[in-house]
Amino acid sequence: MEAWRLPVSSSIRGKLISAGYTSLSSISSVSSSDLARDVNITEEEAFEIMKLANQASGSNSCNGSRSLINGAKNAWDMLHEEDSLPRITTSCSDLDNILGGGISCRDVTEIGGVPGIGKTQIGIQLSVNVQIPREFGGLGGKAIYIDTEGSFMVERALQIAEACVEDMKEYTGYMHKHFKANQVEMKPKDILENIIYFRVCSYTEQIALVNHLDKFISENKDVKVVIIDSITFHFRQDFDDLAQRTRVLSEMALKFMKLAKKFSLAVVLLNQVTTKYTQGTFQLALALGDSWSHSCTNRVILYWNGDERYAYIDKSPSLPSASASYTVTSRGLRNSSSSSKRVKMM
Amino acid sequence: MAPLKHLEKENPIIDASFRDFCASHGILTVEDFLVHDLYELAAFAQRHTNADRLKEGITLMLSFIELQCRPWLNGMELLDEMQRNKHILSTGDKGTDSLLQGGFREGQLTELVGPSSSGKTQFCLQAAASVAENHLGRVLYLDTGNSFSARRIAQFICSSSDPALGQKVMIRISCHAVYDIYTMFETLQGLEVTLRSQVRRNVNEDRLRLLVVDSVSSLITPILGGSGSQGRALMVAVGYLLKKLAHEHSIAILVTNHTVGAGGEGGKTKPALGETWKSIPHVRLMLSRDHKNSNCNISILKHTFMPSGQAVRTMTRKDNQQCI
Repeated sequence: MEAWRLPVSSSIRGKLISAGYTSLSSISSVSSSDLARDVNITEEEAFEIMKLANQASGSNSCNGSRSLINGAKNAWDMLHEEDSLPRITTSCSDLDNILGGGISCRDVTEIGGVPGIGKTQIGIQLSVNVQIPREFGGLGGKAIYIDTEGSFMVERALQIAEACVEDMKEYTGYMHKHFKANQVEMKPKDILENIIYFRVCSYTEQIALVNHLDKFISENKDVKVVIIDSITFHFRQDFDDLAQRTRVLSEMALKFMKLAKKFSLAVVLLNQVTTKYTQGTFQLALALGDSWSHSCTNRVILYWNGDERYAYIDKSPSLPSASASYTVTSRGLRNSSSSSKRVKMM
Repeated sequence: MAPLKHLEKENPIIDASFRDFCASHGILTVEDFLVHDLYELAAFAQRHTNADRLKEGITLMLSFIELQCRPWLNGMELLDEMQRNKHILSTGDKGTDSLLQGGFREGQLTELVGPSSSGKTQFCLQAAASVAENHLGRVLYLDTGNSFSARRIAQFICSSSDPALGQKVMIRISCHAVYDIYTMFETLQGLEVTLRSQVRRNVNEDRLRLLVVDSVSSLITPILGGSGSQGRALMVAVGYLLKKLAHEHSIAILVTNHTVGAGGEGGKTKPALGETWKSIPHVRLMLSRDHKNSNCNISILKHTFMPSGQAVRTMTRKDNQQCI
């Protein structure tokens, strides 16, 4: 129980240790005014430190239960949870198949590709698809769309929303029996209302927004996907201090991971590409460097193969590497083999 | 160094009169006490009215100082302890086991370095499954990137015939998510307290054998560098805490690290976290993935008793059969 592990600033920590308060018990045994006087800090700071010290020593009470630490889950329970985790469909069944059913919630997925391959289209499609009601196999949630490049087109979102509503109507037409009773008619306008849009114009705004998302989502609990398009834009140019960029980006990545886990939502990061010199040749790689490539749970790379668009799973903890093709039609993302009809809804 | 008055709360012997006595010899902190000539101090104490109490106080102070130091052990005792308590855990993959002459050793910190998607998480999951199944030990997986996949662990477990046994194996693996370094400290402290209480109660079956931190570099990169060396201090502190846990409780610890560009031409890469971290793990392994035929190359960067540079090539298991 050492005082240097407390999350306080380094100058205060230095003062605490040089005044002799090296263990948490010594901090909690004095009053805050004595602490302020001894260590030469203000009363509020002393109070904060005492609160932190009491929290830290309170959590050290040993628990004799089966779990080694509070909050750990064992793998058996997690297996059943994982199987029942909802996924967001991408409306392209080939792509869904290689993703194991769709974009999984509680994961941070990074999608990157050359310009014009369809990243923003996937973003808009996902923000519409997350709102498919549960009766149709969707999540029935809202979407947060963070736009850094200004590439979100409302007309396109409306087009995709209309196509989605038409498909749902067609599906109930096929199934006609039990859904009609409690079905609420969804209109494209409702779909657009449930996409919460943020426009970010500099990297400080981006960082501020990410810090604010925790509070925002705890107030709007039905947000199920956060799409950032694109994560790279404000970090590529004008950043003089690359070391600081790495620090800021890794912290942002950790915050996304925490958000995804805490609220069980999917975080989708869209990234740009750059060339990298590896193994003797120039290859396309995602931007923001090596350290950033570790900050996502899954990674999907989009590329051109002749005339067709392909998606390739580059990194995943549980899915095998595979690629699938898709097309972008006027109704949104679809399979490349068939025409514009959506193959399956559930 | 701590002033003497802080010790009074728990040890009433060190009361005001003792402190006044010490102050009269210029001893105000523990450091002064250590530097002072103790025989002379005892002789002075003899002349006071409450000589016994003062002498008791001096003895108590000395006993504190002894407690802070670890006991001496000679080489035979060390070897004996190692053979008795610190076993070798198989990694779950025969190629790696033959490379490491058995696998991971309990009490050592092993680091896996590799570029992105080179198989580090797969390696960790496989090791966790192997330890839970073959060595009947508990595994704690600290996950910073939401990459723990219970489904994949189920695929690694070989006891396909008996689902009840598979369930017992999976219950031994626990996963906890940490997202910043202070939570990591808290978690490790809580773990230390739990392990010490288990030792006291002599709980021996199902003890913790493997601790995986995937990945330690994503916790440290946000604080490393910049002005001030606080980040580096915290990094070294994490390293020492992990090694202390490993040694005291005979746990094998596995951490993963990523690579960064090494500068210069040729796109060479080196492990992240810098020169200071380099000396902290006992064993360092470098993984690289050959994308054309999905082979994984594991080579030794640093080991306690094997030469570095040896390598082995393994295939990632693509088992798609569910065992549960």
